[in-house]
Amino acid sequence: MKPEKNIEEFVKSEKPHVTTGGAMDERTLTDSFEAMDETIRANKPSAAGTILRSRAARLAAAAVIIVAVGLLMVYRNPGEQQQPQTVSAAKSPVEMMTTMSLTIAYRKGGMEAVEEQYNEAFKLIGPRPESLSVKHILAEFNGT
Amino acid sequence: MAVSLIGRANLMIDEKILVWKFNRGSKDAFQMLYEKYKDDLLGLAITLLRDRSLAEDVVHDVFVSFAGTTGSFHLSGTLKGYLSTCVANCARDRNRLRSRRDVGLDAAEGMGSDSGDPIEHVIDSEQSGRLTQLLGRVAYEQREVIVLHLHQEMRFKEIAEALGISINTAQSRYRYGLDKLRSIINSMVTK
Repeated sequence: MKPEKNIEEFVKSEKPHVTTGGAMDERTLTDSFEAMDETIRANKPSAAGTILRSRAARLAAAAVIIVAVGLLMVYRNPGEQQQPQTVSAAKSPVEMMTTMSLTIAYRKGGMEAVEEQYNEAFKLIGPRPESLSVKHILAEFNGT
Repeated sequence: MAVSLIGRANLMIDEKILVWKFNRGSKDAFQMLYEKYKDDLLGLAITLLRDRSLAEDVVHDVFVSFAGTTGSFHLSGTLKGYLSTCVANCARDRNRLRSRRDVGLDAAEGMGSDSGDPIEHVIDSEQSGRLTQLLGRVAYEQREVIVLHLHQEMRFKEIAEALGISINTAQSRYRYGLDKLRSIINSMVTK
């Protein structure tokens, strides 16, 4: 056997066989359990922490938030969604009465929409004279 | 051969399960791991420090800090290797502190212990004494590599990673340490 192997065998065979004492075991285990408790207390996972830890949960949470924001925007002002289409294209009563504006109103809602647009325009201008027909008004505004 | 390999694999699986349970806060699992490695690690610390009470403190500190990692402990190699590395690092720090305090190794040979049984202590001292005394005359860095390689069965690559040195440095420390030990033994024989 090589001298190097001899010395290696010697060191291996002389490995100390010691045992810990009861007092040391007790001290170490007590302190270790305390350290474990402290770590567990400090790392107690919150609901947010649990969600952030998993990628799938993170994506699901993001999707829920987006859907919730969308729904909130839709239901917050439901009246705005159902505004009459007839006056949306025009700003002033004169514009409301142009052929183009009335044509758009007709396409969107038929004769009812045209009537409604008239009424809206007269609300802004003032009361409509009884003798004045739609034909006259059109003629006057369009210069025909 | 095959049987021993299977047995070793079973032991590793058992250990992995214990570590898994420990990570989930099981104190029983921690205690089982402690019981499994305490004597081995104490022997390592005594060989490195040649002072039983200091060695007990080192083992205590290593287990307490290991316990503090519950829930986030990630084991890449073997637990024995990990704990041995911790003991070696902690022992090095203690050794530096002791050197600064100017307490020579010979003065620290008293091997004080909190072991309750004096007979047990005497047996321990006798069993660990001869090699510990011889290794005490080898440079600490060399002693560290020798003990980690031959007693803790760590590979040079593991030792190098644990100590933050290159594999070549670990191997040369090992060789020089063994040469030194051999010359010490030879000089004792010729006397």
